[in-house]
Amino acid sequence: MRGLGVLLGKEFMEILRTWRLYVVPGILIFFGISSPIIAELTPQLLSSMSGLAEQGVVIEIPPATTANAYLQFNQNAMQIALIAVIIATAGAIAGERSSGTAQIVLAKPVSRTAMVVAKALSNWGLILVAIVVAALLTAGVTALIFDTDMLPEFAALIGLWYVLAMFLVALTLFFSAALGSNAGAAGAGIAVYFMLTIGSLWKVAREFTPVGLLGAGDRIVMGTADVPVVWPVVTGVLGALVFVGLAAFAFSRQEL
Amino acid sequence: MSTAIEISGLTKLYKETRALDGVDLVVPEGSVFGFLGPNGAGKTTALRILTGMARPTGGTAMVFGHDVVHAANDVRALIGFLPDVPAYYPWMTAEEYLRFAGKLFGITGAQLDERVVSLLNMAGLAGVTQRVGGFSRGMKQRLGVAQALINAPRLLMLDEPTSALDPMGRKDVLDMIAALRGKTTVFFSTHILTDVERVCDTVAILDHGRVVRQAAMSEIKSEGHATRLLVEVEEGAERLEHALAGQAWARECVRDGQVVRCVIEDVAAARRIVPALISQLDLGLVRMMDEEPTLEDVFVELVGRRA
Repeated sequence: MRGLGVLLGKEFMEILRTWRLYVVPGILIFFGISSPIIAELTPQLLSSMSGLAEQGVVIEIPPATTANAYLQFNQNAMQIALIAVIIATAGAIAGERSSGTAQIVLAKPVSRTAMVVAKALSNWGLILVAIVVAALLTAGVTALIFDTDMLPEFAALIGLWYVLAMFLVALTLFFSAALGSNAGAAGAGIAVYFMLTIGSLWKVAREFTPVGLLGAGDRIVMGTADVPVVWPVVTGVLGALVFVGLAAFAFSRQEL
Repeated sequence: MSTAIEISGLTKLYKETRALDGVDLVVPEGSVFGFLGPNGAGKTTALRILTGMARPTGGTAMVFGHDVVHAANDVRALIGFLPDVPAYYPWMTAEEYLRFAGKLFGITGAQLDERVVSLLNMAGLAGVTQRVGGFSRGMKQRLGVAQALINAPRLLMLDEPTSALDPMGRKDVLDMIAALRGKTTVFFSTHILTDVERVCDTVAILDHGRVVRQAAMSEIKSEGHATRLLVEVEEGAERLEHALAGQAWARECVRDGQVVRCVIEDVAAARRIVPALISQLDLGLVRMMDEEPTLEDVFVELVGRRA
């Protein structure tokens, strides 16, 4: 993988100098701060907006808890943030091809595999830093509004989210390399994510495949016993590595 | 003299289209080699194969003895390449891009510092702190030549380096190429004949995916191509045109005002007979001269014949 270190350095410099620094981290940090607040306000909003109290109807809405704050964060992170991750990753290889930057770089003694691996590592690194910062903010704001209970469960939820994000980054990188189109890669990535969501309704898939990463965090925070996480994590990490390999293979077969 | 590039029977098919059709080519080391051809002749395809960006359908291509398919990284370590439309990371400065390019070749430390400074000066980009995204085409092209030279390559390959530039930009890039004569082998593709005439010592003409001629510039302009004779008279050029057209050694006579031009098969006979004809017709001679064939004449003759 000749040139990996140099290409990785370039990727991190690009993150610091461009929109990449703001999009996914910005979304996660926003949800990190806002989720506990939304969880706290939601029961009050529902009570005040129903208008049924004036008609003599009383609806009992239980007060929000720490678990609600963490679940609110996970709901946002699982939907909007992961779709943002897919869209942000879609142009990683396809963008370099279509803009012509890959041609001038790969005319030097650099392997295409190194370029793909640098993309994967930099994206994984960026998302790791972003989710850790967002999680710390969520935990901090939650502690201020609620309490510091359930931190181990929340840490598990964050870990599972990150493995799923790694998997989706690798999957989208593969589409980016194989399809050669930003929009095509984003569309294919979102379509597969949608199929994984449907697949999570199937118990066997939840127990043994990365599909299990989708709902496991919620179930852990809600206190469900014996949530299967080992196989979803193992297959999620292995799947991510396999898709990076496939992305490198697809890219190496293409003419620039 | 050793060989920088040796291409034999190189073929490239895109579905039904034959982009390269058995190209044979030898580029001597140390030459400034013009790879000339009309748009769509296959020049960029050949360069993409030489740099490992595309795979040939058939034939072989060697760069300094290394097969471009099986030893692509060995080839790329020896070359510098500028694509036809160079694209850079717009958030980098010229200096950052050169440092990045140098590190990809494993150049670091004082050697990298020295080369970056030298190449920025050569490209006229020293002190430019603007990011590459805001560069003009000319600046991008000069940066392109500079980044292609960062590894002090034995072979510099340039794809249409001047085609998108204004006259000043063209002059700058051609001056940079001319300054490399004797330092490295330069192989550049173009459809601009005057660029080739200006800086190249050897030329190959590619048409419809085939090399139709390869030779030294001096040879290709003279060998086998008829001289044109230009005669200007004070008045009565139409009578002179008529008289010249009747001569066995003259053909394709055309008149433009009082100037008559003919392709001459026998220059000695023309020099002897034309003054006599003018005297016979009682015309006033203004000037009479041979016109050397230009590269354009040769190009049109070779390419036009196949069209």
